[in-house]
Amino acid sequence: MSDVIFGRLRALLGTAGVERGSAGLPRATPESADALSLVCRLAHDEGWKIRVEGNGTWLPADAPADLAVSTRALDQVQSVSPADLVATVQAGTPLEALRRRLAEEGMWLAIDPPGRPERSLGSVVATGTSGPLRHGFGPVRDHVLGCTVATGDGRLVRAGGRVVKNVAGYDLTKLQVGGFGGFGILAEVHLRLRALPRADVTVIARGPRDTLSSAARELMAEQLLPGTLELLSPALAGESDWTLAARFAGTDAAVQADVRRLSTQGDLVWQPLPADRTAAFWSLVARGSLGGPVTLRLGVLGDGIDETLDLLAHDLDEGLVSAGAGAGMIRWTGDAPVERLRAVRRAAASREIPMTLERAPWPVRHALGHFGAYREGVGQLVARLRDTFDPGHSLSVALEGGE
Amino acid sequence: MTTAERRYGGPSDPLAPCVHCGFCLPACPTYLATGDEADSPRGRIVLMRALERNEIGADDAALAQHLDACLGCRGCEPVCPSGVAYGRGLEAARERLFEERGLPPLARAVLGMFRHEALWRPLFTAARALRATGLPRWMAGAGRTGFGMGMLAASRQQIRVGATGATRDAMPKHVTLSKAKGPKREGGPTVALFKGCVMDTLFRHVNDATRRTLEFNGYDVLEVEGQGCCGALHEHAGDRETAAALARTNVAALAGSGDYIVTNSAGCGALLKDYGHLLHHDAEAAAVGAKVRDVSELLAMAGPRPGAPLELNVAYDAPCHLQHAQRVHDAPLAVLRAIPLLQLRLLPDSDHCCGSAGIYSLLRPAMARAVLSSKIEAIAAARPRPGIVTTGNPGCLMQIGAGLIAAGLDIAVAHPVELLDESYRRLDRGY
Amino acid sequence: MVDALGRIVGPRWVRHRRAELATYTMDGLPTRESYPGVVVMPGSTAEVREVVRLMHLTGTPFVARGAGTGLSGGAVADPDAVLIALTRLNRILQVDPRRRRATLQPGVVNARLSEAVLPHGLHYVPDPSSQAACTVGGNVAENAGGPHCLKYGVTTNHVVELEVVLPDAAVIRLGSRQGEPWGPDLVGLFVGSEGMFGIATEIVVRLEPIPSSVRTMLADFSTVRGASEAVSAIIGAGIVPAALEMMDQACVEAVEASIYAAGYPTDAAAVLLVELDGGADAVEAEATTVETILRARGAREVRSASTPADRARLWQGRKKAFGAMGRIAPDLAVQDAVVPRSALPDIMDRIEEIRGRHHLAISNVFHAGDGNLHPNISFDRRDPELADRVQVACREIMAACVAAGGSITGEHGVGSDKIDYMPLIFDGDTLSAMRAVRLAFDPDERANPGKVVPLHACREWRATPAAR
Repeated sequence: MSDVIFGRLRALLGTAGVERGSAGLPRATPESADALSLVCRLAHDEGWKIRVEGNGTWLPADAPADLAVSTRALDQVQSVSPADLVATVQAGTPLEALRRRLAEEGMWLAIDPPGRPERSLGSVVATGTSGPLRHGFGPVRDHVLGCTVATGDGRLVRAGGRVVKNVAGYDLTKLQVGGFGGFGILAEVHLRLRALPRADVTVIARGPRDTLSSAARELMAEQLLPGTLELLSPALAGESDWTLAARFAGTDAAVQADVRRLSTQGDLVWQPLPADRTAAFWSLVARGSLGGPVTLRLGVLGDGIDETLDLLAHDLDEGLVSAGAGAGMIRWTGDAPVERLRAVRRAAASREIPMTLERAPWPVRHALGHFGAYREGVGQLVARLRDTFDPGHSLSVALEGGE
Repeated sequence: MTTAERRYGGPSDPLAPCVHCGFCLPACPTYLATGDEADSPRGRIVLMRALERNEIGADDAALAQHLDACLGCRGCEPVCPSGVAYGRGLEAARERLFEERGLPPLARAVLGMFRHEALWRPLFTAARALRATGLPRWMAGAGRTGFGMGMLAASRQQIRVGATGATRDAMPKHVTLSKAKGPKREGGPTVALFKGCVMDTLFRHVNDATRRTLEFNGYDVLEVEGQGCCGALHEHAGDRETAAALARTNVAALAGSGDYIVTNSAGCGALLKDYGHLLHHDAEAAAVGAKVRDVSELLAMAGPRPGAPLELNVAYDAPCHLQHAQRVHDAPLAVLRAIPLLQLRLLPDSDHCCGSAGIYSLLRPAMARAVLSSKIEAIAAARPRPGIVTTGNPGCLMQIGAGLIAAGLDIAVAHPVELLDESYRRLDRGY
Repeated sequence: MVDALGRIVGPRWVRHRRAELATYTMDGLPTRESYPGVVVMPGSTAEVREVVRLMHLTGTPFVARGAGTGLSGGAVADPDAVLIALTRLNRILQVDPRRRRATLQPGVVNARLSEAVLPHGLHYVPDPSSQAACTVGGNVAENAGGPHCLKYGVTTNHVVELEVVLPDAAVIRLGSRQGEPWGPDLVGLFVGSEGMFGIATEIVVRLEPIPSSVRTMLADFSTVRGASEAVSAIIGAGIVPAALEMMDQACVEAVEASIYAAGYPTDAAAVLLVELDGGADAVEAEATTVETILRARGAREVRSASTPADRARLWQGRKKAFGAMGRIAPDLAVQDAVVPRSALPDIMDRIEEIRGRHHLAISNVFHAGDGNLHPNISFDRRDPELADRVQVACREIMAACVAAGGSITGEHGVGSDKIDYMPLIFDGDTLSAMRAVRLAFDPDERANPGKVVPLHACREWRATPAAR
């Protein structure tokens, strides 16, 4: 079987377009959106299951499938417009490479997702994994203007556009951002950018968790608006106590003014990070979420953070935690059996808190699903949408668990 | 004529600039009450145009219902970016409706009564007598009769002063006209008082206060015989002919007297100022119209002289025919600010119609009450609660006053000149 | 139908007489007219649900309508459809100042929401120019923008949770108060669906603190190109103004003739309105930079206002500009196109060229910071030849914007007005995908039928098991 598939893919994409992946699974590496759609069409027509892979640094490449499709050859920054602050980038482009390219032209993508620097853009967009900058610059969806997606049956849907404001047609892009690949495979993404901040200053405070989280809430009330206001657990930050990290990015004048104001607020002792250590600090925070096999995301508003962290610590363990004190999001990384995770999801749902499984080995994903505990009627709607974008169920994605 | 040509009645079409933007919706009290486009200025403009184009006839019950339901407050005019002359359009539509359909019996009866002094004077005099018995205040309430009694009771109320709620003696039953003892300037401006119908009977105390406060501010107030009802109610109903007849009587009486003609009723003032237009640009009528001023305008021009302190918490409510039709905004506030210690506030929606609108509250009580309710709610929710709501129009005084009574709120209504008059009385220097 | 609806909402809230229906033939775009079959005005969520159930059982198309200020003919219903007016659902159900959330019914007027939360030092950010009249439900349907979305985002960035009545009368809740999607981002998908996925009956929005310091600057230019270039220069300097608006001379003249006259110079070719907000020191510093840029690009004069009253005065002319167009001519073709910001100077030249060639009156008022143009063509439809030229010019302008890499609508929506332009920017597969998504919500295509997606341009989407 595997040889047949390998041969058919080679006929379609040429020798360079297909390789043997883990356990000998044929892996297609299309270089264009059209080639990607052809692979999907073929798989759909033949009834083959597809596993989508990026650079293999976030979700393990372990979903059962007849073939893998990797976006790693879709790695071109196709267009960059500094005057418009937009770019079109192929989904397999490593973030690090994109970041460097943008910086050369004075631009910045204000997303700092968890994981390794070489994580693919497509992975970040498909899983909707924003990082601490979500506080000041919004979740991933706010940075994506449009995208090109190959559906499970091999059609190309070009959602949204390349301009910063656009309401033409339904907003299909939103379904792809954070859709975990259940509604198609991202080929290219149109991004909204910012001017590279002239100043980028991080200050940190350390102390007991409750003290820091209540201080963060006070800062919010004082209308101090840093780009980041992130609460980090001792294990994640590699410290003996909890850390509250505030990052200010913008024009020199604005950043200086805000940092000055911060130091006059509240009782916390804020220490500026030396400029040469800032990047390393945030890189450590991003990598921290890889410190265990399972990563969860829970939507929690500022004043619910303590309670929810207590719940997690009680039902699972303290784990590696990065929590947006203002943006209302907790990211927990650790290890736990499926039943425990399922119980946490139920407990969270009963408190009206959605829990998304961001990262886990296939058995956990399969059992639990990235999503679950939907409210009434939503499950049927999601199923219909999935049927629309993947009518043959070719994409091997566990959106919902098999309860 | 093509459809397009019929759509616009030519360059003078007052409704032509409407681009249907809808910015008028939030300013329309009936739209706010029902949320129905047909009860909005924009919807009514559609109806007026359809009437004009003969697409919908004057005998269409739905069209008439929604055009009749317009209060005529013209709150939509000042918010219109394109300057649609809604009031002129409404005037034309109502005239057409009146010509082709006539008036419903109740409206006909009421307007007929206002046409002849021999009818309205005895009626309002009797009402005054009834008011003096205190019975209306006792019977006032939320029901239909109760509300009517509330309106009568509200036409004259006590002004209680001071944080402790110390009450001034009950109003004297008969106010005798006192010639102003203030420093009268020789050769000061002369003012003919437009007495009106309701103002000359139910609100005679306001006319008296008007006379006294003006004289105290250096005006020489003249009595002019031969006046009658201004005709505003008839004009609003589309009965232009009767309005014109009444106007001609008043023009004949008032022409040539005084540097100014003063009225304390916003509704009367709006039409008096527009007599020139009503009488097809008759020169004498236009001259009379040009001399008309609201009492607050004349007082504001003169200062007005400060009075004695009144420790009152007062909410000012702007009559539509003063703020929208006459575009007088600040003068009543200047009058009230002449009273030391008086705390003046404008509550939310104080610029919205109260639902009185001439005889509207009589003809369409349900809508009138619906429109009134948001105003009463705003007053009830205000903290600290005002002791007095003041507004310069008889209909508004009665409507808001009755609404406050119906809501069980112990808040009185008064005309601004009543408050100024009260303040002057306490000066103890020969007012 | 009239009786059945009357049994649900009470006969008082059903409109079926021709004169009444006449007032519902248009929304804010008077060039699209159609009589609805019946108008029904439900007074509660339960009544909306019952009305939609009746539509479902009888297979009747329906159109939801807010205040009818939309500018794409999106809230216009055909004679076989029932128009559901949601203006009576105008209650703010809950305000949670600590968590900065408000829960409201769809008929709440945008500006009323901001007024209601003002005592808490908060406001609802999206501020379409019609905010004094338009409803938040309509904003959700159209994904409405406004001047301040340059910095703060459009409606979709401020709506976190929705209760929706689907066309089969099922009620579902999408999203969460926290703003974290509950599963796929269905709130994001629903916002901007132009009433074709169902009716939002409860909306939870994010509230934002009112900035402690705000500065509004007005600069006038002797050339449109100079003003356009200044726009790019400001953004390029790394400054994200709260708003960055442009008006050309024709527009300024109309505004200055209205009661909303703001003292804009009528002899300028273009004026720019720049608003900065944030901490006082930062605003001060950025204002200096902006003023330098404005002058370097040829601003003749830069006025600056920081008190609320002065700022409101500078703003009101801009906000009421559209309504003031009735002063120029009785009819107005409203355009709403987007171009990449860098294409602004060229596209303005192109519009001027089109205007001259067709001998038209075009005034421009737009959100320059995000390249969202509103060229408005004033005309009189009594002149059919002129009306034809207007149509041709509209199409040429749209084609030019699309050629520059732009979009056919930035905030007004597609509705019925721009449906023919959709194939200019979307291919057949994408249009069919849109239709298929609509079918997932509305298999019978009864919610606001005939809008947004031109069915003839869709490629046939493969029949799927669940989506029929």
